[in-house]
Amino acid sequence: MPGLTVARIRVLWHETLWGPETAARLVVAHTGLTVLIGARIVLGSYRQLAATPRALVDPVPLLFWLDRMPPVPVFVGLQVVGGIAALVAVIAIVGRLGVARVAFAVAWVCYLVLAGLRGSRGKVLHNDLLLVWASAPFLLAPIKVDWRDRIPRRIYGWPIRVSTVVIALIYAFAGYHKLRRSGIDWVTGDNMRYVMLWGPSIGHAAWDDLARWVGEHLWAARASAAFILGLEITFPVVLVYRRLQPLYAVAAVFLHITTWFVLGLDYWAWAITVPLVLVDWPAAAAWLRRRLEQGRPEPVEVGMAESGMARGERQERAEREEVAPRWS
Amino acid sequence: MTEPDDTEGGVPRSARWLVGVVLVALLVPGLAGFDVWPLTGWRLFSLSRRETQTNWVLEAADADGATREVSLEELPLGYRHAEWPMTDLLGQSTRQRDEVCEDLLAAVADVHPATVELRLVRDHQRLVPEHGDWVVAHDPEVFHSCQV
Repeated sequence: MPGLTVARIRVLWHETLWGPETAARLVVAHTGLTVLIGARIVLGSYRQLAATPRALVDPVPLLFWLDRMPPVPVFVGLQVVGGIAALVAVIAIVGRLGVARVAFAVAWVCYLVLAGLRGSRGKVLHNDLLLVWASAPFLLAPIKVDWRDRIPRRIYGWPIRVSTVVIALIYAFAGYHKLRRSGIDWVTGDNMRYVMLWGPSIGHAAWDDLARWVGEHLWAARASAAFILGLEITFPVVLVYRRLQPLYAVAAVFLHITTWFVLGLDYWAWAITVPLVLVDWPAAAAWLRRRLEQGRPEPVEVGMAESGMARGERQERAEREEVAPRWS
Repeated sequence: MTEPDDTEGGVPRSARWLVGVVLVALLVPGLAGFDVWPLTGWRLFSLSRRETQTNWVLEAADADGATREVSLEELPLGYRHAEWPMTDLLGQSTRQRDEVCEDLLAAVADVHPATVELRLVRDHQRLVPEHGDWVVAHDPEVFHSCQV
């Protein structure tokens, strides 16, 4: 029935964006992203960029007014302000203080500007962009959250749900453009062989022998390409089958770590952001605790699945019907 | 819950606006494939690599005529992406080429003080199998040069 299908799609879309999650999951994801932003701000090599000669500066559109790199004090100032803001945001998120939202926004803007300055040297850099976009929904995330509230609620859920959509879209677009610009030859041809053998245009592999081995074994090169394209193009599946989210998170971490080994490229922000958002860490910790206490496995409900969502829906329904929840 | 629930489901209206803006900002460049950083088409490694490629290489010459290839990795961080500004030189004026070349020469001279001339070279490279190994065949083309 077409009507039913449209209705189901609308419900699915609604749940994908605005579905419920627990307060604890929101706090962990929000805190984790803030720590990661703070770490990228403080630990990044930015101030050395001040010495970039004017002729080699090509500002990103966000910073279009720059005709040269700012002086060292500007970089250091952005790092200090951004780092302090991230620290204040973490303390405020955990302490349920209202200043968390402003502090998070300041850290996010400092990070965006620093990443933009790093990218103002002629090449479009994506290293920081997944974290920038995945954390954007948290700019308006609820702050005064009672993390002991174990009932999944929509007010807690939307930043995580939207962030998940953002991540899924980013990977899907990466796969889409591979197909659009190179076709299936990206996988079936010699593409990955030459990616490995040529190495990165900037920097060098952390594990040369592995890159060379993959490049010299065409089956391994093609299998690697199939894995990458398969992961990227199918990533939106996690929006429908939420049970798959931890699996995709693990696959993404594996992809970015091996990318670092074979090409030396810094996609650490991607490798950490994806599991932070896609895995329900409090539920995973609770499951592990139960398992350790009982000494035997239980049905997995690491929060990621329909089981967690369905439980949330049951709780909401119970609340609406003024029926006391059966679990707490 | 402490946030205002001014819409169905408790999601504030401001949040819905933010989500709308974020999704549009991702979808439009993502589908069209253009870059207006931080908006981007996410075209990561999207072009298939081949056995050939053209690299921009810095070649430093000493007073006695000896030459050496200078890796951008030897230069300070601000110079490491110089390959992209060099690529842009193809359509630019001699003055702009001189500016880039002289800036690079200053950095190269800091690392290799004997340098008297810097050549910006387009190296057309080909990866070829040879005796069970892969070697790079070079076909350099001096594009521009500048002197101390």
